[in-house]
Amino acid sequence: MQTGEPQAQAGALATPADWTLPKRPSVAANIWKFIRRKPLGAFGMLIVLTMIAMTVGAPKADFGTPKLPNRPLGFELGKPFMARFEANDVFRGGERNALVGSIDRFLEPSAKHWLGTDRGGHDTYSVMVYAARRSLFIGLWALTFATIVGCTIGVLSAYFRGWSDTLVQRFMDSLQAFPALLLLIMIISLFEPNLTIMAVALGFVGVTSVQRIVRGVVLSTREEPYVEAARVIGARDLRIMGFHILPNIMAPVIVVFSIGLGSVILAEAALAFIVPERVPSDPSWGIMLAVTRQYVPPFPPFLPFTLFEGSPEGYHTLAAGGAIVLAVLGFNLAGDALRDVLDPRLRVG
Amino acid sequence: MQQYILRRSILNLLAIFFVVTLIFLLLRIDTSFVVTQRVAQSQASTPEQEAAARQQVRADLGLDKNLMAQYRTYLWNVAQGDLGESFQAKEKVISEIKDRIGPSLELGLLEITVALLIAVPIGVISAIRQDTAIDYVLRFVAIALLGIPVFVLAVFVLRSTAIYLQYTPPLTEYRDLVPFPPFATDRGVGVWNNLQIMFMPGVIGGLGIGAIIMRFLRSQMLEVMRQDYVRTAWAKGLRERVVILRHALKNALIPVMTVVGLLLGVMLSGNVVLETIFNIPGIGLWVVNAIGEYDYPIIQGVVLVVAVGLMFINLLVDITYAWLDPRIRYG
Repeated sequence: MQTGEPQAQAGALATPADWTLPKRPSVAANIWKFIRRKPLGAFGMLIVLTMIAMTVGAPKADFGTPKLPNRPLGFELGKPFMARFEANDVFRGGERNALVGSIDRFLEPSAKHWLGTDRGGHDTYSVMVYAARRSLFIGLWALTFATIVGCTIGVLSAYFRGWSDTLVQRFMDSLQAFPALLLLIMIISLFEPNLTIMAVALGFVGVTSVQRIVRGVVLSTREEPYVEAARVIGARDLRIMGFHILPNIMAPVIVVFSIGLGSVILAEAALAFIVPERVPSDPSWGIMLAVTRQYVPPFPPFLPFTLFEGSPEGYHTLAAGGAIVLAVLGFNLAGDALRDVLDPRLRVG
Repeated sequence: MQQYILRRSILNLLAIFFVVTLIFLLLRIDTSFVVTQRVAQSQASTPEQEAAARQQVRADLGLDKNLMAQYRTYLWNVAQGDLGESFQAKEKVISEIKDRIGPSLELGLLEITVALLIAVPIGVISAIRQDTAIDYVLRFVAIALLGIPVFVLAVFVLRSTAIYLQYTPPLTEYRDLVPFPPFATDRGVGVWNNLQIMFMPGVIGGLGIGAIIMRFLRSQMLEVMRQDYVRTAWAKGLRERVVILRHALKNALIPVMTVVGLLLGVMLSGNVVLETIFNIPGIGLWVVNAIGEYDYPIIQGVVLVVAVGLMFINLLVDITYAWLDPRIRYG
């Protein structure tokens, strides 16, 4: 990033004819530099990209209100390209145990069923891919909610300070005093199983921490000279907050967003695992784990070729557990690397 | 300082009042489940009888009055230390919390002990060898531990020990696990049995928390290692061990304490997942069942106790903080 500077200074000392602007590094060069400097971060990014790829499917021209998990943006997403079967073939009408007695149950992995099938005759690999869509979009919705609400509260609270700040912060303290998992279970118990409610509930729980971080940053940002300058030329409060403060606190917000996605995915899985009957029955990593809980293979599996002999549902657990671990790992590593890259104060070398 | 403590205590009371109000309102959104359940128990057969029974149940629970009157009664009772009676077990909520907080607290303390035992050495090594291979490996392991859901790890471990070692933790009878306060009664299960039950969940829960603490400690250490007084310590030729342990680590641990305090507060509500899997009769398992039954005196009681515990632990941490680090002055 700063590699061009010494050259530019050297150029300034030479004759004006030698003045050349440092060449802006190409996008590919920047990516390569990121990979070299932050190998762990690049690995995390790779996982995140894989997860996004898992959710991508052919869009269908079926416009309507956005709805989780298959219509998160207002149009219906078809079969994920990475899944190997249509939803109806994988879930037999979407019910979890619809086809007990099917001849396709408990199959060992094969060319057709990469990770075998479970007791419902569902293709384990495809369930995992479909579940990625739910996890990722719940995470995105929840974090979007938490970020918008958290930023609004945090910026307003820090900008105006005074007694309103104290009151809002005490209120946030009291929200934080609620045990998060219990609050989540309580909120989703009040409604019919519904992914949108779940996403909002998960976001709601995240608001307190987002706003605390935002508030901390704004408290120092509002004393910066450029904010003072804006005030001097007569900018209104709203303008200062929206155009001068908000763009300058984006770095921590992006980091919180990335790391928050990991924890929301984990919380969603935990929720589905603890109270599977109260969450929607769309494919979900947490439900996969809850359903096959009593069939979990012993660990470590000693001989890889008869990995879970006699209990192919071990693959079910392995797929879901592995997916959760990788997803959380990916978002955390990516977030850590982003923090180092985006925050100039922490930039080393 | 005294003024600060007083002001914080008053603000804490305000926050606790918010908590109490919020939980009350949240649980009054839809109380029909409880009423229907009770009416079903009353064996009313005709619609008229059923309506009468419904009326009766609502009067019994005090749900027929308006919300403000209910709220006033509730606050009055809480102020007197009466958290009501649970619907299912028909027991005083406060005494049941007393019975169940022991196991939850023990599990929490064990988790934090394990977490600190893991986090402190790893965090220090990772910080003093920043950006070397060992730092990368340790950080990767830490984030991986953060990502492994407790419920996956717990089930794996439980199954593996059962199959390969033919060992499972012994089961206990309800509420004899850890009497509260400790040593208050003679009916406990004995230290050895107790440790067998608590060991696995303690270690498994501790790993994830350890990862959090380790990451925090690492960044604190990195900051402290760049301070002038550490450079001075190096410059006067102290041994590496002394500089790192006595000059750097001691100072880096102070902010870590805040995190530990927060975690301790969270522990008060019990670890729902671990208590479910290992069948520990603690607060978490109990309150999740209560949510399923819509047993709202229990939910209200637990939330209140957890909130009070959390806030005053935080206050305590802040006071200790000022005591440990004389540079901090609360106005």
